[in-house]
Amino acid sequence: MITLRGLTKRFGAVTAVDDLTVDIAPGRVTGFLGPNGAGKSTTMRMVLGLDRPTAGRALVAGRPYRELRHPLHEVGALLDARALHPARSGRAHLLATARSNGIPRRRVDEVLAVAGLDERAARKPGRALSLGMAQRLGIAGALLGDPPVLMFDEPVNGLDPDGVRWIRELTAGLAAEGRTVLVSSHLMSEMQQTARHLVVIGRGRLIADAPVEELLAAGPAGSVRVRGPHPEALARLAGRLAGDGATVTADGPAGFTVTGAAVERVGDLAYELGVALHELSPVAATLEEAFMELTADAVEYAGGGSR
Amino acid sequence: MSAALLTRPGRQGSPLAGAVAAEWTKLWSVRSTWWTLLAGVLVTAATSAQLAIYAVNGNTNDDPADDAGVVTVGSVLIGSLELTQYAVLALGLLTVTAEYATGTLRGTLAATPSRGTVLLAKALVAGAVTFGFGLLLGLVGVAAAGPVLGEWGRAPVAGTAGDLLAVAAYPALVGVLALGVGAVLRGAVLSVVVLLAVLYIVPLSLQEPDIAVLNRIADAFPGIAGGHFLTGDGDPYPPVVGLLLLAGWAGAALAAGRWALRRRDA
Repeated sequence: MITLRGLTKRFGAVTAVDDLTVDIAPGRVTGFLGPNGAGKSTTMRMVLGLDRPTAGRALVAGRPYRELRHPLHEVGALLDARALHPARSGRAHLLATARSNGIPRRRVDEVLAVAGLDERAARKPGRALSLGMAQRLGIAGALLGDPPVLMFDEPVNGLDPDGVRWIRELTAGLAAEGRTVLVSSHLMSEMQQTARHLVVIGRGRLIADAPVEELLAAGPAGSVRVRGPHPEALARLAGRLAGDGATVTADGPAGFTVTGAAVERVGDLAYELGVALHELSPVAATLEEAFMELTADAVEYAGGGSR
Repeated sequence: MSAALLTRPGRQGSPLAGAVAAEWTKLWSVRSTWWTLLAGVLVTAATSAQLAIYAVNGNTNDDPADDAGVVTVGSVLIGSLELTQYAVLALGLLTVTAEYATGTLRGTLAATPSRGTVLLAKALVAGAVTFGFGLLLGLVGVAAAGPVLGEWGRAPVAGTAGDLLAVAAYPALVGVLALGVGAVLRGAVLSVVVLLAVLYIVPLSLQEPDIAVLNRIADAFPGIAGGHFLTGDGDPYPPVVGLLLLAGWAGAALAAGRWALRRRDA
């Protein structure tokens, strides 16, 4: 369980995290979503006691991180996979980390195996590791103390499709064991497949804290794609739908997309008007769209460069 | 796949013991440590032999029996330390500035949240390693200088042993001083500049005009205090005061480093 209460961090005039109050519950993967610069990493650093909150508290299992004696048994974190000494091998890096918390040496080999790093990869110095291998090494380090709470900051960054699938299965497995798993990302599509619950922030503020399905339902309504061989018949159908209050967008002369009308209603109307159809398909809203709508006001740097 | 555990990780041991073990592992797992030590050994051997040659050549007395011009092996050793202390300084400095430069400090502090414990562990490891390194350098220096000095040198057992200990204690304290300065300033280059200023440039500038007040101030600087301790002269204070002054500087640098680590975001 990670508990944030009124968590706030200001860097000079910039408020990176703004009065964040959230509970990250165990037993499920929680996605931590937000555009770049939304304050996800700053929040995670405060949970780990690295950055001091300007106001509020971040607690792990009810306690501030700095009070933990052997914190790697309580929280495992991957922050910046690239933060490695260029000359130190991955294995030595893990061994030093393990020894700091009294974790036996054989545990290093176990987490290396879990992370899919073989002996050759483990012996490579930091500078020779690809980003994907560094991510795996960072995740191995997070698992060292077998902690009930895990935080991964952008773990799929730099991973190949195999690695992405691996992360998805690993985090799901860790959550199924009853652990608290917080995974940050700016990739909505990835979170849709990985997380069951989402905490969305923008400009440091909490925008949503809800199950994935709920966010999808509350997001933009689904749309219906319609295609047919007779443009004038389609135009008639589109006109009726628009008259009912739906929004119609033309996709060329042979089709259109309608939002605000159920697929059944569109089908019934087409039958009633005698319009031949070649396609009538519902298009589910994606998390991406829900996210864009949620964070529309919260993107720190808008496209035009205005603030 | 699950990360289910085969080994139940233990949680025995104090945070300080763990942090010391981690620092020890980190120190010896990078090649630069070994290169630094090797460079120190080679420079000591070369400068000790060179200073011994100077001592022999500089002696114009035709009769060694009347004792004039005969130097102790220990004094040659101490002279060579003027150069080799830079290797030691680098060792102490790198244990902390390298963590800032690579970003590994965050991982270190996540594993050991107590800033004081982390810094103390670093100081203990750097201090112990540089002390042992100093002893090794002393032995190398004696081995290199002794034969060259020949009849012009003498190596009384007690005196030489004392010089060896001094040659080990001095780098250990300078190493810890460098570590503390590095923790405050973060960058290696700036730290080296500040260390050189505090150890040499400022006190030597103060001594330049040879004004009593300025000389006394210069005597309080760590490089000068360490020098008085090493050479064992009783002016203006006994050698042990020089040792204490140097230790005080090292302790103050460490305290400043702890303060900086606690106060700053990592």
